[in-house]
Amino acid sequence: MNGQSMRNSLLRATALISAVALLPVATAALASVDGQTSRELELFTEVFEKVRADYVDKVDDEKLIKGAIDGMLASLDPHSSYLDARDFQSMRTQTEGSYGGLGLTVQAEDGAVKVVTPTEDTPADRAGIKAGDYITHLDGKLIYGGTLDDAVDQMRGRPGTSVRLTIVRPGRDQPFDVTVTREIIELKPVKWEVKNGVGVININAFSNNTGQAVRAAIAGIEKSLGHAPTGYVIDLRSNPGGLLDEAVDVSDVFLDRGKIVEQRGRQRGDYERFDATPGDNTRGLPIVVLVDAGSASAAEIVAGALQDHHRGLVMGERSFGKGSVQTLLPLSETTALRLTTARYYTPSGRSVQEGGIEPDIQVPQLSDPDYKTRPRFREADLRRHLINDAKIDNSVLETDGRDDPRFTATPELLKKQGIDDYQLYYALKTISRIGKAPQMAGAAGQMPPATRAPRSR
Amino acid sequence: MGFPLPMKKPSTNTLAMLGIAVMVPAAAAVASVGASTYRELDRFMSVYERVKGDYVVPVDDKQLIKGAIDGMLSSLDAQSSYYAADDRSTTGTSGQAGIGLTLTVEDGALRVVAPAAGSPAERAGLKSGDFISHINGELVFGVSLTEAVTKLRGAPGSAVALTIARRGRPKPFDVDMVRALPAAQTIGWRVEKDVGILDVNGFNQRTAAELRAAIEAVGRQLGHPPLGYIVDLRSNAGGEFNASVQVADAFLDKGEIVSQRGRDAAEIERANAKKGDFAAGLPIVVLIDEGSAAAAEIVAGALQDNHRALVMGAQSYGMGTIQTAVPLDAGGSIRITTSRYFTPSGKSVDEKGIEPDLPVPQLSDADRPKADPGRFADLRRQIVREAKVDQAILEADTDTDPRFKTTAEELKKQGVTDFQMAYAVKTLERLGGAPTAATPAAARRR
Repeated sequence: MNGQSMRNSLLRATALISAVALLPVATAALASVDGQTSRELELFTEVFEKVRADYVDKVDDEKLIKGAIDGMLASLDPHSSYLDARDFQSMRTQTEGSYGGLGLTVQAEDGAVKVVTPTEDTPADRAGIKAGDYITHLDGKLIYGGTLDDAVDQMRGRPGTSVRLTIVRPGRDQPFDVTVTREIIELKPVKWEVKNGVGVININAFSNNTGQAVRAAIAGIEKSLGHAPTGYVIDLRSNPGGLLDEAVDVSDVFLDRGKIVEQRGRQRGDYERFDATPGDNTRGLPIVVLVDAGSASAAEIVAGALQDHHRGLVMGERSFGKGSVQTLLPLSETTALRLTTARYYTPSGRSVQEGGIEPDIQVPQLSDPDYKTRPRFREADLRRHLINDAKIDNSVLETDGRDDPRFTATPELLKKQGIDDYQLYYALKTISRIGKAPQMAGAAGQMPPATRAPRSR
Repeated sequence: MGFPLPMKKPSTNTLAMLGIAVMVPAAAAVASVGASTYRELDRFMSVYERVKGDYVVPVDDKQLIKGAIDGMLSSLDAQSSYYAADDRSTTGTSGQAGIGLTLTVEDGALRVVAPAAGSPAERAGLKSGDFISHINGELVFGVSLTEAVTKLRGAPGSAVALTIARRGRPKPFDVDMVRALPAAQTIGWRVEKDVGILDVNGFNQRTAAELRAAIEAVGRQLGHPPLGYIVDLRSNAGGEFNASVQVADAFLDKGEIVSQRGRDAAEIERANAKKGDFAAGLPIVVLIDEGSAAAAEIVAGALQDNHRALVMGAQSYGMGTIQTAVPLDAGGSIRITTSRYFTPSGKSVDEKGIEPDLPVPQLSDADRPKADPGRFADLRRQIVREAKVDQAILEADTDTDPRFKTTAEELKKQGVTDFQMAYAVKTLERLGGAPTAATPAAARRR
């Protein structure tokens, strides 16, 4: 008894010394670098101690330090952040493009978990779960009070394991149970279809192997037509970006040579340039790239590269404007730092930071009834965004309220004509016009008819 | 620029050795640190160093540490904040005029606690619970409370534009306001159907005296005592603590008003009522709503728990914490939450706010969110029932009280623009037939 308590207090004493030792230590060491740093770190420790001692409730060290790290990173820019175990895992899922789970997209609705959509050909889809279903229990345990992330965590897991869902379906009197076995779910960042002889490639993220998936899409399009399409629409709308390497690879699919993007870090020598390898998988066929305010980062690299090389006509609306590169710096097995380490520049040397990619042809999304009033959040709207050294002011362009005479159709009118995505419709129409002049299908020759055609109408 | 980049840093081992020798005396300063504290501080240091070493542009230590302190404090609550030694934003050089809004931060979003009566914000129609997305066109998601307040303040007569998101409205909308100095008076009064209405809009040193004067003025205008008083604490985000004690005391003859409790359970500070009731025992209805916070909740809680008044309206905001400024050796100060208020019956004001004895919805408000209809409400009720959680949610979902079915349009036609007030006046008016039975208990008997 006595011996044990003595050992305990001894242990405590050791812990105390090491605990206290560390901070001043680091402070002292850094002091040799910079006197300012040590003063600031002392200030930080003092606040930390005072909060621990005086706050109304006993506070958790981990929570305080997480808050401090989050705050420190938030003071830098909106894209630098600290990833705890869960964030790190979801980041991996995004970049790897796969996870073990059911294949459900869910959202929280007033404390319940609602199915937005089951992904095609996944366990959830095969089990008959439908959009609009409510999930109330997991393995018989009520989902309540936790966050959506908690529920998602419980649904994910090792492939081969099972989970029992209790479903409330509007229109059915009784809830029912479904047992679903988890599988590896591939997030498919690339989808394709053929419309009016034009290949439409929709890229919704840049995860691992997106470049390969784009090549596969091109092959699929050609195969389904039995011949080459009139041209391609690369739909990068609402694409928040992803891996830089994949953005380079996707651009390379359509480019034969030349610079794709260049990134510059903090030091003058810290400079990396990515070039296209010979070969254009689309053999010079006309390309329209669709962008909107939700096209960011990796999507802007692709749009910028194809625009600067005059390989694609960029249509839609001004893109998001994120011209920075983040590096994932692992801190431990389960945590990491996502830190802005570089800026990137398009082949012509532009930074898209703040200004975004300006489309060659502005095409409003007329089929969206809320198009004009829908708030748009771009990089420049984010707090503490990095400032572009070459300041671009688009306000004059943006505030031109006059309707372009080409773009006066109302959402109702378009709906009657069966057009629910006007930007895509306009892109297809543009390519079809080019298609009538096949001799113009070269990379350089494609531009003039595309820009002239609308005016002559 | 030839910024001196830190050379390859020596390994942590070397550092530790160095430090133990030098810094052990500092141990006394840190009370009860455990191994986990050490780990956490270590984690902070490693992030700090990586940021300094690898960020895209050289970063200022001051900026990083200010960010860290701000982040640490905002992880506690929205009211805790840090003032750097050279921070002038709080000393008012940016202008004393404002728009009369009390704000809080909820999940990074700026939320209106209450607009002050007669303020530009109230005239512009802002309501408790509104979210502010933009100030002068600038997105304010993620700003600290201090930053937001600084942005809203300015010279009297200057303009501010806010973008507001409100429950019950499909789209955000813009509101323009002109900054003004806060009103000098905190108490307004009027007489309606022999009832004295005391409108409390804030709590400062003069509030108790103004209240006494208002009660006298009501009696003077009527030539006799009123049937009772309505103490309107709606859209009142509080003010000075002492003033709230004085206001509650004005209506109480004895008993506890409020207690403050800090981290140490034994440390309780109580405020008690002194003898004397300005209202001479006449019936009182206290009106509260979602915009009644802090000092206003102290008053409502004290009068409710001492059975001195009938509390009507909607559940109050629930803001019952006290912040203390702690000066730092390094200069500047932090303001952190150090204790909480409790009503005489021991309820924490901070947790749920004050629940009215008689919930009266503000039917005259056209934006009032409609009850959740249909099958989803049922599902939610079922989930809640099974989880045996908050009884209040169950109650909120039941059918509309038959007394409270009128719509805003119908009320407007009848000339009722403030249903809660009209209902309170009617309640007190019923006492008119029995002038001797002038206590709340008697009112209920009828």
